[in-house]
Amino acid sequence: MNVFRFILQNHSQVLELTLEHLRLVGFSTLLAMAVGIPLGIVIAHRPRFNKPVLASANIIQTIPSLALFGFLLPVPWLGERSERLAIFALTLYALLPIIRNTYTGIRGVDPAVVEAGRGMGLTELQLLFQVELPLAVSVILSGVRVAVVISVGVATIAAAIGAGGLGEFIFRGLAMVDNRVILAGAIPAALLALVADFGVGWLERRLQPR
Amino acid sequence: MEPAAAIPAIEFRNVSYGIAGTQVLSGFNLQVESGETLVLLGRSGSGKTTSLKLVNRLLSPTSGDVLVNGVSNGEGDVIHLRRSIGYVIQDVGLFPHFTVERNIGLVPKIEGWPADRIRARVQELLQTVGLTPDFTSRYPHQLSGGQRQRVGVARALAADPEILLMDEPFGALDPLTRDELQHEFLALQQRLHKTVVFVTHDLREALRLGSRIALMEAGRLVTVLSPRAFLESSDPLASAYVRAFGEGLESSANRGTS
Amino acid sequence: MTVLRTILGVSVLAALALLLSCEPSHSDSIVVGSKNFTESFLLGEILAQQIEAHTNLKVERRFYLAGTYICQQAILAGRIDVYPEYTGTAFTAILKEKASGANEDVYAQVKREYERRFGLTLGPAFGFNDTFAMEIRGGDARRLSIKTLSQAAAFAPQWHAGFGYEFMERPDGYRGLAAMYGLHFAEEPRIMDLGLLARALKDHQIDLAAGNATDGLIPALDFVVLEDDRHYFPPYEAVPVVRQQTIQQHPEVARALAELAGKISDEEMQRLNYAVDGQRRDAKEVVHEFLRSKGLVP
Repeated sequence: MNVFRFILQNHSQVLELTLEHLRLVGFSTLLAMAVGIPLGIVIAHRPRFNKPVLASANIIQTIPSLALFGFLLPVPWLGERSERLAIFALTLYALLPIIRNTYTGIRGVDPAVVEAGRGMGLTELQLLFQVELPLAVSVILSGVRVAVVISVGVATIAAAIGAGGLGEFIFRGLAMVDNRVILAGAIPAALLALVADFGVGWLERRLQPR
Repeated sequence: MEPAAAIPAIEFRNVSYGIAGTQVLSGFNLQVESGETLVLLGRSGSGKTTSLKLVNRLLSPTSGDVLVNGVSNGEGDVIHLRRSIGYVIQDVGLFPHFTVERNIGLVPKIEGWPADRIRARVQELLQTVGLTPDFTSRYPHQLSGGQRQRVGVARALAADPEILLMDEPFGALDPLTRDELQHEFLALQQRLHKTVVFVTHDLREALRLGSRIALMEAGRLVTVLSPRAFLESSDPLASAYVRAFGEGLESSANRGTS
Repeated sequence: MTVLRTILGVSVLAALALLLSCEPSHSDSIVVGSKNFTESFLLGEILAQQIEAHTNLKVERRFYLAGTYICQQAILAGRIDVYPEYTGTAFTAILKEKASGANEDVYAQVKREYERRFGLTLGPAFGFNDTFAMEIRGGDARRLSIKTLSQAAAFAPQWHAGFGYEFMERPDGYRGLAAMYGLHFAEEPRIMDLGLLARALKDHQIDLAAGNATDGLIPALDFVVLEDDRHYFPPYEAVPVVRQQTIQQHPEVARALAELAGKISDEEMQRLNYAVDGQRRDAKEVVHEFLRSKGLVP
């Protein structure tokens, strides 16, 4: 097929754009985990804050990605380099699934287990790391999976503001009116999303508590 | 000659506990002697579980003082307090992602016992609660309800605490298993002489296991009696219980010694 | 516990890998970029073939990037090493200065600021000035005897104008022009795809279009470019923008760029544009033919 020959002929560029795409998705997902998981833990233990935190993350999610990119362009430092901006925006989009799933995962731990643990004399940290997190990890990972898949999609739009990645093929192909170029971006992006979904999903199933 | 008065293992001094505008416990005064099995008997809402949780400081009194071995349990390290008290609850609360061995050995592990000492202790405890050594590598979901609670008791005894708190531990089990475990509990107590505070709403269980029965109603202590005395009591609430539980209670009364 | 530790370990490794991969890894190849219109794309191809012929480096083409901002971001991030830009555009859209002054002044200022602020520099100019061309139909120009924008302003209220998106939005675009010449059209100018403007003008759907001075269709379709008698538009000399780091690592690239200095006149650029847009010839062939005719490639 035409497209696959094109991809093979231009494999170094396809690879380079894929790596750029992975950088955008990778950095933002890790950042979202670093911020979102602790935040999810906090609101799981202090339910008083869960509404404002979850509501904020929800609002951010509803902003269309291209609009969010546009809002952030004039921001100093962030707006000067489109990769920074893209990673920041992608992180924001990844927050809701991660925070919400961390919250649900930890709240979903059997209260009897938590009570027994506390009554036995586990400190709050020991309870968190030895009991709650291991039991919630599968649910948390499912949130990470959703975040990654969303990120792969939104990252294709980031090319519109010059952040590179596989979306660049798509936009260039549109300007050139060349389907092969469009697909050279769209197919790897779709594959990336599928692989991520499958890979993290596999990890989730392995880690499910009995 | 009168024996010198020993410090009670647990003492409630004028303890009250209220939350969200409700008084759950008021003016609670009680002493639990070392080595006895004190049963807190009452219906739901009587404050018995609350009293239990005040001992290991899962709850803090709104007024009054709870003393363990003569020292207020509000002072000092609450983690240390809890690790020195065994806690058994109705839903057991075994950690589903730990093997039986890891479950039982958890407190010794975080207290820093060497691995082989823990292993030996686990074997010892399995025997004590009537389970075979091959149980060490099983997971809670592979156990029956009765087996799970045995592991729960073993876990509570792991660091050899003096005090054991038990909140309706056999309530979720079928009558046959419950009977077995009650029987084994009595044998255990004969050997170990732990100070046990045992919560139940079942008079039959109270009569069988307790050295004394503290009857609670609406957050207050109504009366504290030995099983024999309870059966013959003229206290209206106590006799209501006796009537409610019907025939054949005398055979349950105090199978063990106090 | 081991499960969590594994996940933590993997995440840390992933973070490290990402951090280390921050520098783009194409050390032995040159990436040439271009914007998404024919002239830019042709200049990009000229740069690419020139570098291929005069150095041992592999050239990767990343053409049709959607606009000035995208190209600027790409070259700052090192995703491309060189791309064709216009001094006027660099001056107003990127450096955000008010345009005025002669060609050399703008070139010198842009070069200085690019080197100072961005670690970028300019190669020598290609030789043509692709300023904005306000085009009208030749028939109208002759009938109404108008040659300059000031003369055309009188007829504007009867005309419809059509412009590309960037021209409408740029600070050095429509707004300033309308203010300087007092242009008021029959209605708000229509924003159209650049490729459709020429046909719309020919078919009388619009009466004035903003094109480029080197547009291949100007002679072909008998359009007339109105003179910017008040000198509203700054010079738009076509120049290669290149990363200083690329020049340092590969001085042979600078030599290759230097050979292109002044090699393309306004008319030559128009012809190249027309060959691709009007005659639908293959761009690579057109460029190769041109470079050969100049003695730059065998």
